[in-house]
Amino acid sequence: MGEEVKKKRRAPDPNSAKYKLGQIAAKAYSDCVEAKARGEKIGWCASNFPVEIPETLGLHVCYPENQAAAIAARGGGERMCSESEGDGYSNDICAYARISLAYMKLKKAPEQDMPQPDFVLCCNNICNCMIKWYENIAKELDIPMIMIDIPFNPDYEVSDAEVEYIEAQFWDAIHQLEDITGKKWSDERFKEVKEISGRSSRAWLKATACAKYVPSPFNGFDLLNHMAVMVTARGKAEAAEAMETLLKEYEENHKTGKSTFRTDEKYRIMFEGIACWPWLRATSTGLKSRGINMVTTIYADAFGFIYDDFKGMCRAYARVPNAMNLELSRDKRIKLCKDNHVEGLLVHTNRSCKLWSGFMAEMSKQIGQACGIPVVSFDGDQADPRNFSEAQYDTRVQGLMEIMEANKEGH
Amino acid sequence: MAIDELLAQFHEIATSPRKQLDKYLAQGKKVVACAPVYTPEEIIHSMGLVPMGVWGAEMEVNEAKKYYPAFICSIMQVVLELGVTGQYKGVSAIVIPSLCDSLKSLGQNWKYAVPDIPFIPMTYPQNRKPAYGVKYTKAMYERVISDLQTATGAQFSGVALANSNRVYNEHNAVMREFAEVAADHAITAAQRNDVFKSAWFMLKEEHTALVKQLIEEMKKTPKDESKVRVVVSGILADSPNLLQIFDKNGLKIVADDVAQESRQYRTDVPDMENSLDALAQKFADMDNCTLLYDRDKKRVGYIVDQAKKHNAVGVIVLMTKFCDPEEFDYVPIKRACEAAGLRHLNIEVDCQMVNYEQAGTMIQAFKEMA
Ligand code: SF4
Ligand code: SF4
Repeated sequence: MGEEVKKKRRAPDPNSAKYKLGQIAAKAYSDCVEAKARGEKIGWCASNFPVEIPETLGLHVCYPENQAAAIAARGGGERMCSESEGDGYSNDICAYARISLAYMKLKKAPEQDMPQPDFVLCCNNICNCMIKWYENIAKELDIPMIMIDIPFNPDYEVSDAEVEYIEAQFWDAIHQLEDITGKKWSDERFKEVKEISGRSSRAWLKATACAKYVPSPFNGFDLLNHMAVMVTARGKAEAAEAMETLLKEYEENHKTGKSTFRTDEKYRIMFEGIACWPWLRATSTGLKSRGINMVTTIYADAFGFIYDDFKGMCRAYARVPNAMNLELSRDKRIKLCKDNHVEGLLVHTNRSCKLWSGFMAEMSKQIGQACGIPVVSFDGDQADPRNFSEAQYDTRVQGLMEIMEANKEGH
Repeated sequence: MAIDELLAQFHEIATSPRKQLDKYLAQGKKVVACAPVYTPEEIIHSMGLVPMGVWGAEMEVNEAKKYYPAFICSIMQVVLELGVTGQYKGVSAIVIPSLCDSLKSLGQNWKYAVPDIPFIPMTYPQNRKPAYGVKYTKAMYERVISDLQTATGAQFSGVALANSNRVYNEHNAVMREFAEVAADHAITAAQRNDVFKSAWFMLKEEHTALVKQLIEEMKKTPKDESKVRVVVSGILADSPNLLQIFDKNGLKIVADDVAQESRQYRTDVPDMENSLDALAQKFADMDNCTLLYDRDKKRVGYIVDQAKKHNAVGVIVLMTKFCDPEEFDYVPIKRACEAAGLRHLNIEVDCQMVNYEQAGTMIQAFKEMA
């Protein structure tokens, strides 16, 4: 999402995955601007809304969460959050929402602009905060809101009743969008999008699974940047191609003993939570300076959108992180820790995200026990810089490192 | 019974839920805890079980901190704390809906924090009005029924549910009437709250009977017209210290949009052949609540209408700290009040609140606003 960890390096190779992925992310915005200029209706879309729907219909959408992350990473988080707070929004509300509501009003931000929406696409499979946020936008701008409700699933498996409910809503959303935009759904086009999305997903899963190699051929902070494309563009052919390039590079790195983690990999951890965008450099340096590579995150698993048909797609969207119960969330993470030889878990207790943080203490404790690894948490926020303390982060990471060190000696 | 005696009784029940729990247990009944904000109480009631609300209490939190970070609302923290510390002992199960993000995690934490009281999830659809939404509500009700059967051994019957639906509808009507009578006759804010709060700790038919008596008695008293009339909105409005400030300043609650109070009683179960379908339709018909998807923000207009209808000077929002859904709605409420020429005030509250000085100053200023 947004900013790269290391800026102003040598000119990037246009054939590299990094370059391609960066281009795709940027193009998503410019495509929207152009579509709007042509007089097409464009939307604002929640990050885990089924992208297959706008993609198949040929609609251009941009992603407020992505924009908020970019604004925060480029230093505008506090300014935009304060703007919303001045309007009466509590500083307790998710910082992405605060930034987005401020942007809706100001209609410009030097860090990352995007066109104003003609409709909003909301899906609450990541949080119910999303509903309130998009309600306020839809009401304020007086535009249609398409609401797909994918409830938090208290069970391990997705029930047929839930799939049926979701499927009915997908069709309802499609028909509403056809009415709003005049575009038409095509089963044939859906099949293509489904296949491309599957291709992107397979490449992503394989690329992130390269962390199984010791040392890992990549720095896990890469994933935080590249996942934006998986979120927003996985149904586009360029994205599938770029993900395949990424996979090739990681395999190549492994063979040639290279890595995007450009220092000695002494420890391997899993990072839990959204990145602290305003403090990306500090959080990354705090690890790298100690030789700690964040080799995996739940995002590695989160974009396995591989399914056979429409129903399968509905089921896949009910199994995104934040819609899963504790046990399934836990087991997926345990698998990632074990597959990738993780030695410690670093948990971001994210002030913005009540759902992600709400049962994290119990879940991370269980993961630590199951994997026999230390768990350490720090307080932060994905977009409001005021909720993070560098000193606390440093102390916690140091603590984690010391336990990992002691564990190594003990073995 | 005289008004004072009745009010004393409501107060006694509202302030001693444990005693109520023990009373029902002693009668050989099984009790099921119901977390905020909505649960299908009619189903629980129809199975011969006693539904009791758990909305927290004014207390410090210790044990729950092992599960929840500090930025989760105090209602969730306290409910978990009471569970962990064994205060709900004797309860057969807890039904927790997933209507907000904090409620979603309550259920997950509960399984490990309070393993001896089974967690029964109630998943409500947000797209509750279309036929597919109603169908989903019904499927989730069926799941609650089956979990309740496992947890308590009680059986479900459609006929019994039809009866419970009637019991609940009657209670709704009585509570709506009470709110109107309380708007015009003498009753303190704390006493008004006792009547609403006690409903959570009693079988509804018992509560209905008691409230009916109170209404009869109140109607005989002269109208109370000297007060500054306000509408209160929020999740909870039950802090005695805070409510005292209302009375001290001569503020009268003439209507409420409080989740624990009137939001519960606005919608009846419709008359339909199948009682479970009817109950699912009730949920579809519910509106004007921050936790129910509301593209048009009808809730905002509803609050303003209530204020106008009851000749209120303004709206006092009692904002549960860290309740993000309500925090989102505050801005449109504020703007709508301004547009309608109503005063408005936002007071942050939580279960650990000890200092009411600031709230007192704010309420006084609100009252003096011209
Ligand atoms: S950070 Fe959490 S609360 Fe905010 S939009 Fe994302 S999932 Fe929702
Ligand atoms: S007070 Fe608000 S945040 Fe807390 S459980 Fe109720 S609705 Fe959710």
